Amino acid sequence: MTTQGTDAKPQNELLNTLLDNFKIWTKKLSHPGLWITIVGVFILGYLPIADQSPEAAFANATARESTFTILMSIVLVSSLNILLGYTGYVSFGHIVFYGLGGYVGLYTIIEHQWPLWKAMAAGGAAAGVLALVLGSAILRLRGAYFALATIGINEAMRAFVSNYDPFGGAVGLSIHFRVYRETYGSYQDAFLVMYKAMLGLAIAAVVLSYLVKSSKFGLGLMAIREDEDASDIMGVIPYRSKIIAYMLSAILPGMVGVVFFFKASTIEPAAAFKLHTSIEWLVMIMLGGFGTIMGPVLGAYGYQNLRTILLTSEFFKNIQLAVAGLMLLGIILFIPAGLIGWLRRHISFTRRVLT
Amino acid sequence: MRTFVKLLSLAIIAAFVLGAVATFPAKTHAQSERTITIGFTASQTGKYNVESTRQINGINLWIEQINGAGGITLSNGTVLKFETKFYDDESSTDRVQELYTRLVTQDGADFLISPYSSGLTDASALIAEQYGVVMLTAGAASDSTYQKGFTLVYQTYTPASRYLTGAVDLLAATDPDASRIAIVHENDKFSTDVANALNSYAEDLGYEIVLFEGYDSGTTDFAPFINKIEAADPDAILGGGHFQDGSTFARQLYEKDAGANMIALLVAPPEPTFAELGDAALGVVGPSQWEPLAQIDASKAEELGIEFYGPSSQEFTAAYMEMYDEEPSYHAAGGYMAGLLIQKAIEDADSTDTDDVAEALDNLDILTFFGRNSFDTSDDNHGLQVGHSMMYVQWQADGDELVKQIVFPFEAASAETVYPIGSE
Repeated sequence: MTTQGTDAKPQNELLNTLLDNFKIWTKKLSHPGLWITIVGVFILGYLPIADQSPEAAFANATARESTFTILMSIVLVSSLNILLGYTGYVSFGHIVFYGLGGYVGLYTIIEHQWPLWKAMAAGGAAAGVLALVLGSAILRLRGAYFALATIGINEAMRAFVSNYDPFGGAVGLSIHFRVYRETYGSYQDAFLVMYKAMLGLAIAAVVLSYLVKSSKFGLGLMAIREDEDASDIMGVIPYRSKIIAYMLSAILPGMVGVVFFFKASTIEPAAAFKLHTSIEWLVMIMLGGFGTIMGPVLGAYGYQNLRTILLTSEFFKNIQLAVAGLMLLGIILFIPAGLIGWLRRHISFTRRVLT
Repeated sequence: MRTFVKLLSLAIIAAFVLGAVATFPAKTHAQSERTITIGFTASQTGKYNVESTRQINGINLWIEQINGAGGITLSNGTVLKFETKFYDDESSTDRVQELYTRLVTQDGADFLISPYSSGLTDASALIAEQYGVVMLTAGAASDSTYQKGFTLVYQTYTPASRYLTGAVDLLAATDPDASRIAIVHENDKFSTDVANALNSYAEDLGYEIVLFEGYDSGTTDFAPFINKIEAADPDAILGGGHFQDGSTFARQLYEKDAGANMIALLVAPPEPTFAELGDAALGVVGPSQWEPLAQIDASKAEELGIEFYGPSSQEFTAAYMEMYDEEPSYHAAGGYMAGLLIQKAIEDADSTDTDDVAEALDNLDILTFFGRNSFDTSDDNHGLQVGHSMMYVQWQADGDELVKQIVFPFEAASAETVYPIGSE
């Protein structure tokens, strides 16, 4: 009897903590901002593939392509935001994970005939492991030193892959056209699979950044961002937290790399490790508002749409880079907190909805 | 200030909304229109812009000439006129598929011309195949593009595997005692393909490859490579990559007096602007797809027993110089040639239907101002250029001026090879 009595109490406590946690998480997960973002991304991604008839597929082909680019940016930028926005660590060379993921994925597809999902898992895992190894080494650096180290890593990886024969060296890897036909029926069908995969990744990226932000771990990251030494004293272990944040921000880009280069059917070092693209990700985060969930999504959407307009308009296409540059300068000068940050500051109602 | 910030944010929101609207396609091209749209992307910005600009010039000249001549009249009386539609691909794979999809599904492109580089072409060729549109490639020289199972992609240029092999033949013919070759090439897909083919070709001929090195695409300081070249003491330095790095490499080889008897570099030497290097350009050999000095006309076609089509070399050069006030390079001629091949194939097929035009291209074997043109039709190499071959140019001194002479093959040569370099 007595043994039963003493056992019952901790069981209740455990139940209570679980229940409390459950309540906290249901409350967290019912935040309107999260659902607005998920539904928004889903609608954005679903519209161009809603009608599968051949005529509609043809008419929506360009929309599918541009939306694919936007979804891709949402994943990449939301992932980078975990490190940049929450932790305050600027990674200029984040594209290294995308490039490495792409290479590992294409390698497994070509050499081992792996299906896309398996190759994506491999690409994501490779990026995660790289982040763990690199992070252990360079996350002891702070501020500008860390940012510079990330550039160096990207360049080193590019040089390595350019001379690594299993990855095709400078020539890169290339997928034969029949792979799409034999596995998926046609390139169209293969693209639809890739598109849905990218849509899934985009939603996963939004959920992941929300989960991190609303967790205790995320709070620790933000403490590191505000004052790393103070956070250390308060019980956060900065080094470990930063490595986990770095890994979390690397895995999805690794998977995106696989999907993108599978779509392009070819990968070369110069295309996989293009530093310039990395900088564009930073711009998208700044545009939307860093450290927020919606910011990177809006930033990616706005930036990529703007680029499409500039690239394809008769008037702007010759000076599109200059126009994009000027607009970005204006944004950084006048709304440095990004779109979400600006709205939250100036319109009080939005504080409850936007996150 | 406050109002300004508000206005600015309004403008940005407006841009987002506009973007959303622009994402959804306009009506597709009307079927009754008999204007044939040639779609392509070009590298107006980014590292290939010199080569790419020339290529667009060539395409535009062809458009102007064909429309000026009243277009193509099919046997059913339909008159075809031509127009181009193009976007900037920024020399990057990021958006090239999106832009080609736009060209086909929104702008109604009937035929496509490839982007400049092999990597971009691989990606865009998928779109051409997906929508069943014939694509002529100009500048995508890597053989691998044609080994990927495409059926609608046709190559205008001599492939990478035969780009520099003639330079070895030239060396063998000019200096039988030469035995040592250094290969220093840009570490990208095209140049590496060229260098690998060159390496095995030279080894088969009994040459010793004393140095085989790749340099990074953005390289501006070649001192480490030049030091290695000096240590290896080659008779000939072969390699290079594209225009910017090739020019820099040539200049630094001259400044450091690297000391080989022959220098042959990819892509850069045939461009007229290479002469701006002055003395550093002197004696440098380069493979060229085509040269203004080349005498290719109907009489040559008679010898070969094939049809001659289009303008003669002189006529093309004169027309190009009148329009752009500069001498055409092979990139310009290549752009024009891609258009000319489309024109010839439509005429042969008497149709603009993809299958008919593709069949006409499969059966094509003609001589044009650009040289001979025919395509591999096997499953493994479909669309690979098999008719055309390279010429080799050398910059030589003519009084105070630098002139570009054809030195190989000997039957097309306009001057003797200056060998060793600087002996003039």
